[in-house]
Amino acid sequence: MTAKRPPRLLVKTLSVTFVSVAMLLAGVFVVVVLSVRDQVRQTVTVSLESGQRIFAAIESRRERELRAQAATLAENPTLKATIDTYAAEVRTSDESRRSLLLNTMANELDKVAARVEADALILADEHQITLAASGRLADRWPRGRPVATAGAKPVEIADGVIRAGGLPFRVVSVPLQLNDVSIATLYLATHLDQRYADDLEKLANARTAIISDGLIVASTLPSSAARSEFEAAAESRQPRGVVTLDGQSYAFRRLVRIGTTSFYALGSIDELSRAATSKAIQELGAIATVAVVLALVASFWLARMITEPIGRLSASLAHAGNVHDARVALALTGSSRELDALTETFNALMASVATAEEQMQAAYTGSIRALAAALDARDPYTAGHSERVSVLSVAIARALGLAPDAIEVIRLGALLHDIGKIGVPDEVLLKPGQLTPAEFDIIKQHPVAGARILRSVPFLISHIPIVELHHERPDGRGYPYGLRGDDIPMAARIVHVADAYDAITSRRAYRAARPASDALRELWRCAGTEFHAEVVGALATALPGVTSERGELITEHVHA
Amino acid sequence: MPLRVTVASTLAIAALLFASARHATLAQVPQPGSISGHIKLTTRIRAPLPANAYPSRSIAKHDAPSTPEIRNVVVYVKDAQFRGVLPVSRVELHQQNETFAPHVLAITKGSTVEFPNDDPFFHNVFSFSSAASFNLGRYPRGQSKPQKFTKAGLVKVFCDIHSHMSASILVLDHPYFDIPSLEGVYEIANVPPGQYTIVGWHERVGERTAIVQVQPGRAASVDLTVPVEDAS
Repeated sequence: MTAKRPPRLLVKTLSVTFVSVAMLLAGVFVVVVLSVRDQVRQTVTVSLESGQRIFAAIESRRERELRAQAATLAENPTLKATIDTYAAEVRTSDESRRSLLLNTMANELDKVAARVEADALILADEHQITLAASGRLADRWPRGRPVATAGAKPVEIADGVIRAGGLPFRVVSVPLQLNDVSIATLYLATHLDQRYADDLEKLANARTAIISDGLIVASTLPSSAARSEFEAAAESRQPRGVVTLDGQSYAFRRLVRIGTTSFYALGSIDELSRAATSKAIQELGAIATVAVVLALVASFWLARMITEPIGRLSASLAHAGNVHDARVALALTGSSRELDALTETFNALMASVATAEEQMQAAYTGSIRALAAALDARDPYTAGHSERVSVLSVAIARALGLAPDAIEVIRLGALLHDIGKIGVPDEVLLKPGQLTPAEFDIIKQHPVAGARILRSVPFLISHIPIVELHHERPDGRGYPYGLRGDDIPMAARIVHVADAYDAITSRRAYRAARPASDALRELWRCAGTEFHAEVVGALATALPGVTSERGELITEHVHA
Repeated sequence: MPLRVTVASTLAIAALLFASARHATLAQVPQPGSISGHIKLTTRIRAPLPANAYPSRSIAKHDAPSTPEIRNVVVYVKDAQFRGVLPVSRVELHQQNETFAPHVLAITKGSTVEFPNDDPFFHNVFSFSSAASFNLGRYPRGQSKPQKFTKAGLVKVFCDIHSHMSASILVLDHPYFDIPSLEGVYEIANVPPGQYTIVGWHERVGERTAIVQVQPGRAASVDLTVPVEDAS
């Protein structure tokens, strides 16, 4: 019958706590992740916005500086003189003369180019036709070709983005002036390459993409798939928005647009929110661990607060059950009012049970005593015998220092010791003369008969040895079993001695009552053979306390 | 304009000397005629410059007298043949307020140009032109350096200290040229009779030519629009 025992209170409390804390944490987790993502999106947008502002500021400053640099370079007298002279003579002079002037120009431009941070320096005449070019990527501008073309036509440009030799360039231009008249233009061209995009990324603090005529010319986007997807997305020409590239979500913003070229800054929402979320989760995890531990400890303590007094109570109940003592009052646990009320109610209940039990036992003993008295009354000479033997036996037991429980057994057992004589016929029991051996055999059966009678009453089981064995002798010549020495229980030995003493000191039909001293002498004489010596000694010790001055027993009322 | 006076007087003396000499030696030569007319500039010379945060480097611009563009035009006979000793002159091309004044000069071959420095700082004069390639070096106020031009052609003159300064000197191998007055009126005197191509030239705008027939003792009149007047 082990099926379906209810769980322990502790387990129940812990699981309830754990589940509720876990649900709470899960809720917090979801809220945190969502809000982190939302905040990151806003942060990225804001950072792109500020990146745009910073970029615009830095870019305009950079352009100003570049222009200042270019303006200084444009004041080169040799360049101006050669250009102006070349322009004056180009139609009239010969080839060697022209190349002399152009070489002077190119040589001067090379020196100038060494002083400026540009990928190419281009010198163009009034019609924007290249006169000379210098710098790393000068070969994109062959002499005699327009600086910038749209299709086949040359375009008038001041500043902006141009394509030369298939490459995109950011250009800044300054005029070369003579007498307030522009005679040529000097272009500073910066290649829009990966390095430019990388620099832009540092400025804008975001990934960058440069799109010229619908094509990405440079970008710091992580994959080619992302680049081509952004190329497609940028077709819409939105200045800002959110776009998914290669499975990642980006916020983007156009930094600047120059003609058909746009510079974009992009911030990865996923990348940033992943970092921020994992940080938040780490912190949340630490808090969660502490919260779970705290909750478990607290609920464990709470559960213990309830279960521990209950355990104590049930332990003392179990103890009371083991000792069969209904009068044991359970101590109040003092842990809670409810539990104390329960204990008090239980104690009151047990007290009433104990009272009922006492009353029942009193009723039992009363009826047994009445039976014993009735038995004694069959023979006038034995009237009060059982009562006296009981008193004496108790006195002896006390003198021997027996336990109170054992004494109570002796008190009632001694009272009942001759109950078996109920089966002895009157003619044998009351026969005045000498008994025949057959008659004496009938008498000898009374301990066994008594034991048989008591066996039917569960309450009197412990009294049976007294009734059954109170005629056994230490030398083994007693009846009904002829037990020897230590085999005879102490209670039976005591009742044997008390029975003999009362018999000697009582009057009989065939003799007068003898005094206590005679009786004690007689008992001492038979000590060791018929009686146990220590019991006789105890009787001698106890007698003064139980007899009056006239030598009669003070019969105390036996009550339970 | 002292310069103009100088040029004009020099030319007048030269022409006079030249005419009397011819008259004395070659009596059979027909009497020369003259060409005069009106020059009109139709194009804005100072085009608006590209947007630039930095002004050009010239200083004290407001102090510099701005020469009217009409005075930067030279009218000359293109295919004139001149026999005899070409009259030469000595003219001054001043450096004032970081400009060459005048900006355009026309002289006969063999003439000498003085470059006096009127500014309180150093100036320089140099040229890369094929007609005359020279560098007069740097010199302070009050000094002047001469340069003789022995080859016909256009000579562009610059200052290597002030890159915005420039001047054009048109060196011709005949005396048949003039710089128009402020009203645009020019006159070329003592031109031998015949058919000529007359040129109105401006260094930036370009040139405009016309055919002219010079009758002995008569004045031909040619008005030029430099460059070609816009069709619209």
